[in-house]
Amino acid sequence: MTDLYLRDRWFEDLPVGEFHVFGSHTFSELEIVEFAETFDPRPESTDPDQARLNHRQGLIASPWLVTAMWMRKMVDYMEIYAQGVNDGRRNGAGVAISDLQWLEPVRPGHTLTYTYEIIAKPDRVIREKWGLIRSRNEAFNQYGNKVMQFEIDILAERRPQESDDPQQQ
Amino acid sequence: MATPSPSDHLESKSIELDQSAIVAFASRFDPQPYHLDADAADQSIFGGLCASGWHIAALATRLVIETLVDNGLPFLEMTAISRLKWSRPIFVNEHISVRVTLGSSDEESPIANTRCQTLEIEVCNGNGAVVATMTANAAIAIDAALAAST
Repeated sequence: MTDLYLRDRWFEDLPVGEFHVFGSHTFSELEIVEFAETFDPRPESTDPDQARLNHRQGLIASPWLVTAMWMRKMVDYMEIYAQGVNDGRRNGAGVAISDLQWLEPVRPGHTLTYTYEIIAKPDRVIREKWGLIRSRNEAFNQYGNKVMQFEIDILAERRPQESDDPQQQ
Repeated sequence: MATPSPSDHLESKSIELDQSAIVAFASRFDPQPYHLDADAADQSIFGGLCASGWHIAALATRLVIETLVDNGLPFLEMTAISRLKWSRPIFVNEHISVRVTLGSSDEESPIANTRCQTLEIEVCNGNGAVVATMTANAAIAIDAALAAST
């Protein structure tokens, strides 16, 4: 049987340099408007007619919609990739982000492709159970232009010590 | 209205996060058990159903924008977050509000006819405890016509 090594990993097993393409998403006018009505109710994101007159000359997605979609693509991807088996990153919460930049507007019909690369494993142990995986994340539009980037520290579960594992006792 | 000056602290109103809002956001953008299911959340690292950190970030940004505009700053777009740290969860029926401190305006803005305003943002719960901190760059219109369009 195939050894599903990649699907059963702890913090210690996740290598710096690992790279994933989480997938793509095409933004509709409706989802741009709906998100903005709740989170960013300004004309450039809620009213296509008024938006034509603004500094972007048309409707643009709220920046947090672009970033929130990264989270969705990551959760969906990890669900498939890790197939319900432990991968140290699963169920690990985000702790902090840095260098988040929104570089170009995202408009209805634009398709973004989200990428993820592990760039560091900061030397910290949190609540004795978790380590930190630092990744660099980017989104590219259909022209190949980078429209968003950020780094995030996410908790990943450390390999249990034998004495911590009730089944070993 | 007097335009706020650096080191001014601006306070927003507060928003309550009920379970349906938390679950609605998480269903679309962050479908993990601790944001969707109360029983699973009780067993999780958070110890209860709580809002996605991205939900908090987006709502906090809305409060920041409203606060800037209410104080006479012609806000145009948020362009960058140099640092965002989540320090504690927001559980069902908790409130959030933001406290904004205006920082420097030295960096160049990526958007024409705007200046870059650095913002130090504290996101607080109903007890005034800080649940997240953000350092953000906002593009503020300096062109009169652009300012009028905000």
